[in-house]
Amino acid sequence: MSNSKRLHPIAAVTNFIKQLKELIIPFIAFFVFGTKASEGDLWFFTGSIAIVIVVLGIGVLNWLRFSYRLEEGELRMEYGLLVRKKRYIPFDRIQSLDFSEGILHRPFGLVKVKVETAGSSGTADAEAVLTAITKDEANRIQEIIAQAKGKLVEETFDTEVANKAERVEEKVVYKISSKELLLLATTSGGVGVVLSAMVAFLSQLDDLIPYESAYHEVEKVISNGIVIVAVLVFLGFLLAWVAALIGTMVKFAQFTVKKTEREIIISRGLLEKRQITIPLNRIQAIRISENILRQPFGLCSVYMISAGGSVRNAEGAKVLLLPAVKKAQVAHILQEHLPISTTSQPFNSPPKRSLPRYLLRGSLIVVPFVIAAIAIFKLWGLLSILLFVFSSAWSYLIYKDAGWGIEGQQLNIQYRGLIKHTLFMKKPNVQSLDYKESIFQRRKNLATMTSLIKSGMGAIGGTIVDIEKEDAKEIYQWYSHSQKAPF
Amino acid sequence: MNEPQKRISDKALSVWRITGAITSAIMAIMAGGAIWLSNVFSWPVWVVMAAVGAIILHVYLYVYLFPLLRWKRWRYEVREQEIELQQGVFVVKRTLVPMIRVQHVDTRQGPLLKKYGLATVDVSTAATVHEIPALPVEEAEELRQFISRLARVADEDV
Repeated sequence: MSNSKRLHPIAAVTNFIKQLKELIIPFIAFFVFGTKASEGDLWFFTGSIAIVIVVLGIGVLNWLRFSYRLEEGELRMEYGLLVRKKRYIPFDRIQSLDFSEGILHRPFGLVKVKVETAGSSGTADAEAVLTAITKDEANRIQEIIAQAKGKLVEETFDTEVANKAERVEEKVVYKISSKELLLLATTSGGVGVVLSAMVAFLSQLDDLIPYESAYHEVEKVISNGIVIVAVLVFLGFLLAWVAALIGTMVKFAQFTVKKTEREIIISRGLLEKRQITIPLNRIQAIRISENILRQPFGLCSVYMISAGGSVRNAEGAKVLLLPAVKKAQVAHILQEHLPISTTSQPFNSPPKRSLPRYLLRGSLIVVPFVIAAIAIFKLWGLLSILLFVFSSAWSYLIYKDAGWGIEGQQLNIQYRGLIKHTLFMKKPNVQSLDYKESIFQRRKNLATMTSLIKSGMGAIGGTIVDIEKEDAKEIYQWYSHSQKAPF
Repeated sequence: MNEPQKRISDKALSVWRITGAITSAIMAIMAGGAIWLSNVFSWPVWVVMAAVGAIILHVYLYVYLFPLLRWKRWRYEVREQEIELQQGVFVVKRTLVPMIRVQHVDTRQGPLLKKYGLATVDVSTAATVHEIPALPVEEAEELRQFISRLARVADEDV
């Protein structure tokens, strides 16, 4: 079908940078623990340069050795520096192609193509990647594969050619508005990450900044008043928060969800463009998550739980579908676009008599902390009893947010850990269902239900604790394929 | 209660008791060490008493009580459309696994199970693994073939 091709030379550069990134930590370690004597500096310097040159050489050689071609219905790749590897992937095993553009890609009109295959079993390099090819080339590959697959479908199902034209049609399901982007950034939890990175960075600079003399200055400042210190700390936080804000905004700018006949395509990013494609039939469940910062604004994020993804590539398993939207609008935005409906119908709640059990569970977690606090701080440790107030409030929230609902073939579960989740799943996607009943629950006629669905290589479960026993039986009966009542 | 009908082999009781006895023996060695140390350093008497008490309790629970409760509770049933399991000691757990979700079935056998002519059946779905412990070998073999035949009939994409 085509001759063997090389990647764009930029691939060598990205390889090189990637390798260099991996070397940064040993470099820093060397930098920190290395010799401080002056003659060591020269060794360090020449050594570093030698390593960089070797890495660059490996990057270039790797690029020279990598070739790919499309031939006999297969994507064929040959690569490897010391060990020559050949990987042939039949077109019909290819689930999707994910395009992303890094900063280096964009000036040259290049994309990175990640080939997702069905059943990427968790082997080390389960996925195939074309690090840098031109956009035209990428589109050409996509077309060839789509055509090959289309032919296959026609052969097996004998559908009309009209099918092909329809597939190209893309519908925009959702595009992030600037207001939503701002809300998303302000309520994201990235602040902590930036802050800890800053602390780590400052502690690495021991040698460069003359802290000793700086401390004397600081002492003067401190003597001028605690207010100034407070202001400085506050400014530090503010700076970290703004950095996180900008980071999130750049990452999620132009977040767009598109839909073709059998795929969902999500693209995002300002500097680095990313695109991820999820075939509709790989979607196992939809999850709405409301974190404590977003809940007061009525905001939530929506995730698709997908059966795709490998061990190394966990992001294929939980894909962010809507980063921050009003919860009331979710059903409206998604409408008929997904195989799973997300209409928030009223949920059935656990009965009042299970509230004490929720409260008790919450307090049990706190007990060891209180005991430890009293043992260590004696009388002052008694203050830790306040923890019970928090745990009770939290337990009450967990109780209040627990709920379930059955809607035809669909089971919806609402539960809270730290974040409030609502899980929507179809019966055929539920891998197994557990009904649990402890001795204490039996006395109160309560039960616990867990439904497990596939997520990437593993499972995630939706659990709802202490619901009415009759309700639990109803869910169990709903899931059972047998005619006779299981209870 | 319409619980699943079939029980696992009653030899499971012996296997679990032996397993419990082995862990108890290991515990006893550790307790022996503690008692010896308390002799050397003349620790208070209650240390020795606690160690002995812990061993007795462990033997009672893991050699006598838990295996019995566990065995009494364990039930399973393989129907045309689904597999149902019931297990637990203090918490009764019942699990439904639809045939269409079954990906493969394994049997396995450790040295202890082998001695008693038993085998464990593992039923795997795309996301979970469910175990039916300690069935007679022929029964386990039959069950494996039976389930894999049914699962193939009910096969369908994930």
